[in-house]
Amino acid sequence: MRVIIHVDMDAFYASIEQRDNPTLKGKPVIIGSPPDRRGVVSAASYEARVFGVHSAMPSRTAGKLCPTGIFLPVRMQRYMEISEQLHLIFEQFTPVFEPISLDEAFLDVTGIMHKWKDERVLACALKTAIFDELRLTSSVGVAANKFLAKLASDLDKPDGLCEVPKGDEEIRRFLAPLPVRTIWGVGKVTGKRLLNHRISTIGDIQSRSLPELQRTLGSRTSGIHLWNLAFGIDDRPVAPDCEEKSISREHTFPEDCGSMEIIRQLLLELSEQVGRRLRKSGRYAGCVSIKLRYSDFRTHTRQESMRIPTDCDRDLLLHALGLLEEQKIKQPVRLIGFGVNRLVDSPFHENDQQELFEDTSRPAAQRERNERLDRAVDALREQYGRHAIRRGNWTLSKSKDGKHPP
Amino acid sequence: MKLKIKKDDIIDGLQKVQAVVSSRTTLPILSNVLFKAEKNMLWLSATDLEVSVRTGVEAQVDKPGATTLHSRRVFSICREISGPELELDTNDKDVTTIKTGSSFFKVVGISEDDFPPLPKFEGGKNYSIDQGVFKQMLEKTCYAASNDETRYILNGALLSFKDDKLTVVATDGRRLALVEQDVEFSKDSEAELILPSKTINELIRTLGDDGNLLIKSTDKQAAFEFGNMLVVSKLIEGTYPNFKQVIPAKSDERIAIERESLLYAVRRAALMTTDQSRSVKLTFGKNRLEIITETPDVGEARETVPIKYNGKEISVAFNPEFLMDPLRALESDEIFMEITDELSPGVIKANVPFLYVLMPMRLS
Repeated sequence: MRVIIHVDMDAFYASIEQRDNPTLKGKPVIIGSPPDRRGVVSAASYEARVFGVHSAMPSRTAGKLCPTGIFLPVRMQRYMEISEQLHLIFEQFTPVFEPISLDEAFLDVTGIMHKWKDERVLACALKTAIFDELRLTSSVGVAANKFLAKLASDLDKPDGLCEVPKGDEEIRRFLAPLPVRTIWGVGKVTGKRLLNHRISTIGDIQSRSLPELQRTLGSRTSGIHLWNLAFGIDDRPVAPDCEEKSISREHTFPEDCGSMEIIRQLLLELSEQVGRRLRKSGRYAGCVSIKLRYSDFRTHTRQESMRIPTDCDRDLLLHALGLLEEQKIKQPVRLIGFGVNRLVDSPFHENDQQELFEDTSRPAAQRERNERLDRAVDALREQYGRHAIRRGNWTLSKSKDGKHPP
Repeated sequence: MKLKIKKDDIIDGLQKVQAVVSSRTTLPILSNVLFKAEKNMLWLSATDLEVSVRTGVEAQVDKPGATTLHSRRVFSICREISGPELELDTNDKDVTTIKTGSSFFKVVGISEDDFPPLPKFEGGKNYSIDQGVFKQMLEKTCYAASNDETRYILNGALLSFKDDKLTVVATDGRRLALVEQDVEFSKDSEAELILPSKTINELIRTLGDDGNLLIKSTDKQAAFEFGNMLVVSKLIEGTYPNFKQVIPAKSDERIAIERESLLYAVRRAALMTTDQSRSVKLTFGKNRLEIITETPDVGEARETVPIKYNGKEISVAFNPEFLMDPLRALESDEIFMEITDELSPGVIKANVPFLYVLMPMRLS
């Protein structure tokens, strides 16, 4: 039995604005076009939703409904940044997570359940981690599959936690009273068609036979689909990666950091994270880059191509450290990032042209050992989370500050 | 400086030096050619600070002196001008007039003092070899050098003076070309130099088919003196990879193939390759070599070359360009391919001291 968590950030864009500018706290914040112009609302804070404002509503309408509303422009870059940080938090729990938008993701925590007393404790820890690091609240649904988890996260909003009971009968009873429109994919049209056949709750679907439902919907496949969902059946896996063009991770220091030792350690961790992601997606990096932001916000990036694309932690780290060495650091660092790009499907160029010379600095046997090591470490982390194993020279203990799961 | 010179002579001289002039340079003086007139010679020099070239052409010098002139511009003028002879006259402001009976040009130059002096050569080792022989050695190998700037050590050819032999090797890490030649030099002149590709190209352009070539070398640079030419080049510093270890000691099969038949067959088969799929498959079967290209969504090509072969059937894929390069550079009617299996390097030999090692591509 799987354990899937759906995380949905509460009024994500609006909450970020309220967090970044505390004077907006408790006020109706509306993100989108200003009310005197054409355009729509992208997001609204809960205070604004009280007035009936919701996303996709024309801004003029929102302005009429909520005259005291504070309209702000969309700062997508900022939301993406926070989203990226959110993913990092997810990754501390499990590498198996699938972002479905900036503020929503599925996590498959089946592999890490043994470390937790039960699902509720884990879900609480996740919510706490998100709040501690981002100062943002989230609503979380816990269930045996994606459909139920998403449905659950929506039932207890904002700052909610909803667990779907286990067992077929319990699930059936849990779903029965819910309106059909709660099912993902049932919109206006299908909802109306179902209503015409006196189907308004999920329970109504459960009470029909499958052929009947198929006739109602006029489609065999959507009939099966809806029928399954009505009984809480959904086998879709949490699919962590789509094909990526580049992979990067960054870390913002709580306080600007002047210690090369710590910066190096962070770079090590970031390169491992990137390496793991790279191997997971079965790709090889042709180019590595580092990013440094100083206290005065000046940002420098440096990158370097690799002769033979690699997916090996050791290569990534050596290149990262080389780049760090070149970038003479003269002032405290606010942010450090590591990334790879020019991703290819094979470490060999030009369709598998073989090389004459073995890389003498790294004989084949050594390379093979490194590859095996990487895979073994990946497997451990896959099962037990990122902090299950770390390099011997890793001195920063992150788990002590309680931010990360044990 | 004042002189009269034959149009053909000055064009010949400028052609020899101007190839090293870089078209994109941040130092204006490097776009110029140094003109230096003394006795009955006009000396022309050009440099990009890596390679410097000097050549001399006969001239009737009325007043010795020197100046520098924009290389491309002065070459164009000399080429376009009509009349067999032209007259150059430089004033003390480095303005040169170029005249024939009907044409008059005034070219603003830069003082000789700003031109980087030719590197001085002191000490070093000396070697003597026939120009034509050396030129052929370079021609048979230089195409295998790497253009990949991240592999700067391979951006040239190795000249190894050892055991009474000169060995020239070039490789880009996927194929390797090697030639050898007996050369006389003293035991303490044994040395290995890595000569940049640009210098090699300049030498191939300017070396004659006979006459003596004197090579002088130190750790950092080499000079080549022949006829009226002097080429001085920086060397690539570093250790050349151990090329001997990648030359297969022996292969399972040795097959004689008519060079041109193979070259043209591969060239035709390569018509069906694409940038994404750059490989031709060679299948050695009983008395026939099949060369096949199969590119999804593009099509296929099949070529058959008759061979004398009775061994096991072997298929191996190569980059067609890498396969054709040595076939073009060689002159022999027949070459020998040595093959073991689809993963082992292929070797091309000829009945001249030439060796080419080529790594296969993985068969899909």
